[in-house]
Amino acid sequence: MNEILYVILQLILVMLVAPLATGIIKKVKAFSQKRQGPPLTQMYYDLYKLLKKDTVVSETASWVYHLAPYITFVTALAASVFFPLTASLFNLSFQGDIILAVYLLALGRFFMVLAGLDTGSTFGGMGSSREMMIASLIEPALMVALFTLGLIAGSTSVSAIISANQAGSPLILNPYSLLLFSAIFIILIAETARIPVDDPSTHLELTMVHEAMLLEYSGKHLALMEMAAAVKQLIFITILANFFLPLESFLTLSNPFLAFFIGLALYLIKLIAVSLLIAAAEICTVKLRFFSVPNLAAISFALAFLGFMQFFVIGR
Amino acid sequence: MSILFKQMVLLYTVAAVLSLILTRYHRLNNIITNLLSAAASFCGIIFSLKYLYLSLPAAELLRFEATVPFLSIVLRVDNLSAFFVLSLSVLTLCVSLYSLGYMKHYFAKNNIGVFNFLLNIFILSMLCVITSANMISFLISWEIMSLVSFALVVFESQDPENSRAGLIYIIMTHIGTAFLIIAFMLIYVQTGSFEISSIGNLLSPHIKNILFLLFMLGFGVKAGIIPLHVWLPYAHPAALSNISALMSGIMIKTAVYGLLRFVLVVLGASNTWWGITILLLGVLSTALGIAYALMEHNYKRLLAYSSIENIGIIMIGVGISITAYAEHQTAIAGIALLAALFHVINHTFFKGALFLGAGAIHYAAHTKNLEDLGGLMKRLPYTGLFILLASLSISALPPFNGFVSEWLTFQALFQVLANLSIGLKILAMLSVAVLGMAGALAAACFIKFIGIAFLGKPRSEQAQTAREVPFTMLLGMGMLVLLCLLAGLFPQFILMLLDSVTQELFGFSPIPGLKGFSFLPYFELPINKTGVSPFIIIFMCLAILFIFYFFIKYIGRNSRQRLFKTWDCGFGDLNPRMQYTATGFSKPLRIVFRLLYQPKRELQLTQGPSPYYPNEQNYVVSTETVFEKYIYRPLTLSFTHWARKTIFYVQTGSVHIYLIYILAALILLLVYNWIF
Repeated sequence: MNEILYVILQLILVMLVAPLATGIIKKVKAFSQKRQGPPLTQMYYDLYKLLKKDTVVSETASWVYHLAPYITFVTALAASVFFPLTASLFNLSFQGDIILAVYLLALGRFFMVLAGLDTGSTFGGMGSSREMMIASLIEPALMVALFTLGLIAGSTSVSAIISANQAGSPLILNPYSLLLFSAIFIILIAETARIPVDDPSTHLELTMVHEAMLLEYSGKHLALMEMAAAVKQLIFITILANFFLPLESFLTLSNPFLAFFIGLALYLIKLIAVSLLIAAAEICTVKLRFFSVPNLAAISFALAFLGFMQFFVIGR
Repeated sequence: MSILFKQMVLLYTVAAVLSLILTRYHRLNNIITNLLSAAASFCGIIFSLKYLYLSLPAAELLRFEATVPFLSIVLRVDNLSAFFVLSLSVLTLCVSLYSLGYMKHYFAKNNIGVFNFLLNIFILSMLCVITSANMISFLISWEIMSLVSFALVVFESQDPENSRAGLIYIIMTHIGTAFLIIAFMLIYVQTGSFEISSIGNLLSPHIKNILFLLFMLGFGVKAGIIPLHVWLPYAHPAALSNISALMSGIMIKTAVYGLLRFVLVVLGASNTWWGITILLLGVLSTALGIAYALMEHNYKRLLAYSSIENIGIIMIGVGISITAYAEHQTAIAGIALLAALFHVINHTFFKGALFLGAGAIHYAAHTKNLEDLGGLMKRLPYTGLFILLASLSISALPPFNGFVSEWLTFQALFQVLANLSIGLKILAMLSVAVLGMAGALAAACFIKFIGIAFLGKPRSEQAQTAREVPFTMLLGMGMLVLLCLLAGLFPQFILMLLDSVTQELFGFSPIPGLKGFSFLPYFELPINKTGVSPFIIIFMCLAILFIFYFFIKYIGRNSRQRLFKTWDCGFGDLNPRMQYTATGFSKPLRIVFRLLYQPKRELQLTQGPSPYYPNEQNYVVSTETVFEKYIYRPLTLSFTHWARKTIFYVQTGSVHIYLIYILAALILLLVYNWIF
């Protein structure tokens, strides 16, 4: 029973928070350009509008194209269940393996990339081809970083990793965790199509990756794809926030509701902090030439591997 | 118990003989032989399931004693053999059903009687390889297997490509067999027996090391481990698709079986470096196999390279298992072996399905070139669905079986990371990275396969007019795909069968409480203090999908959906040639890994009225097969050169010299007789 309660609470929270993270990043970017920027809630309005609109579907497309948004969206949500937003949710009852979460996201990507090829448009193929290159190059770094986290915790289960972060001082205070943190941050940027790798605000440029795959989508399909991207971004932010940054373990409140809300507030603060980092990366860097992305992936891999080696030298 | 096995052997033999008798009646022949071999496979499934489920002790099944000394064919089964019999039987059942429809195209062209005879003998020989109790029967069935599969590879002998593929295959496989013969003779010299039994403590460490290397080379060729893989990408595309499915699904696994049987059981895996060697070769095969697969346009060759990758993943599991066993960590050895064997049967399922699917594409569209396909999803909906599901499975995505074995391999590596020495830890972490990358590259590779062949617009007339394949072909594929899904959702069942194998080899059960159908709470698969439950995840996904589907439908209740042509930037109609091609799809990775691929570009222009407007352009991109170019070609060249030169010294053409040879041989033999 507790598990079902957890899943429902977690899903509701993820659905509420994910567009907010995108809003925060956009707002920070706008401020840096001396603009007002769209309101924080803009993405909610957009999604609602898209859901109400008509959909246009390419004649060339097969059933894969229709199914892909649903699968991408559902796998992103299912993967988000693996990463509890607050420690009190985690205490509710929770078990899950981090490799499964990563592969669930890969399942969503598989269908998204196929959908890019399904319409017979050159843009779609271009986006798909590039997305797969970035994904393959970033994957080793991600696996090494997550496995090192698992080693620190003694198991690749998410609950073990969170417990390791809860017990004693937060992980970010260890030097090797700092390396892992930066590695995963680079992975976040690549996976969520942020600026040094891809530009989320571009449409119809020859450099686009993620948007090129979604070019043919409209209406509710597009809404699902956008939401899936936002949820995926939130997953990576949560990894950084809850695996490295302090969790509210110091709270021993008798009232579970109060603990939950304080935990949520703490999570939101961490969310804003990580979003600021992402926005800073977007502001300070320019989009890399596509064939420089391997270098970025290599840096991420090197950081993760150094973190792993340092973990042996220093120990826990 | 052995009745079922005898029935199986008998049915295959009858099928083989009948098909030779009924050579004239193609249709009847095809139906009878395939139904007979399907029945035989069915016996095999029941036999092996029963054996593994009850976890029976090793038992002798068949014995033919000849009057010639040592020539006795003895077949015996234990849990390890039974597991391989299971994967063989499942695949042959599906392949037999598939062949009912598939062979129709070849009725007029080829001799079906001979083909079906060879097919049944091929299956029978593989069965004998995995149940042999002594080295003589092992070697005989191994050689029959190699020769018959050679005959099947060159069966479509009209094509000179096929003959070349067959030549490479038979040379490579005999080099492998030569090493095996040396190894068996060495064992006989040392122990005086041809029995396959544990003899690890009878041999000196020095001899054991030599034996390990011989087995590694001998079985490595058959398994297609890089750098011994050269025959594989030629032989698989040359053979008919049902044969490729058997070759990739089972034949290369007999080498895995041989390696496990001889290194782990016979030699007793006493050295850490053996396991490390296997692990390193596995990592190499995984990375390079999938990298080469990505560049292929011939979809059967793409699948062949992907087999190399999967053999690599299996070898990673086997390598860890042997390393851990040598370090006396039976728990890790057990988990790693579990992962390797699980991947063996998974690969049988999904690669079988994929090769059968490739055959279906070829049946419908008559081309093996990806660049000529496209839009098949609308024309071959069921084949498309099955290939899509099998591709998800081979890309190790949940909830399919590929994910479970990949996850187990990751967990085995994690155990190494947590428990073994520092050097091994670093190696394990690099393997993790390679395995992760191979997973993503496999996804890219199969997205290319599906995306180019099945999605978009048809790129040629053949693809345009392709039609769905006969029902029996779909049945064969569908059963395998269903098994992929079931093994992914309920891995407990396969693990329960595998448990008997690890119990037998290591006396260790990684998953206590799996016996019987007492599934764990929430169908979870717990290892290393963590667990996955594909069933629950899929259940959750479906629940989420259900809720949101209706939610979205409700919000958008006033919206419509309309069909329109793909956006063409306002320039008029898009045509199929504007789509991304297979070459284009893999181009970014070709550029990133240019060191490996050594791509060559050739642009030919025919001069037009002005240098800026050529009449015709021809653009060719090719990648280099590094191992062939830098190892095999120089080797064969220098060998033929050397042979040509030395032949003059030996065969001078003068009778006197030949007389001296005879005299010398006589004297040598006399001396030999005198000494011994």
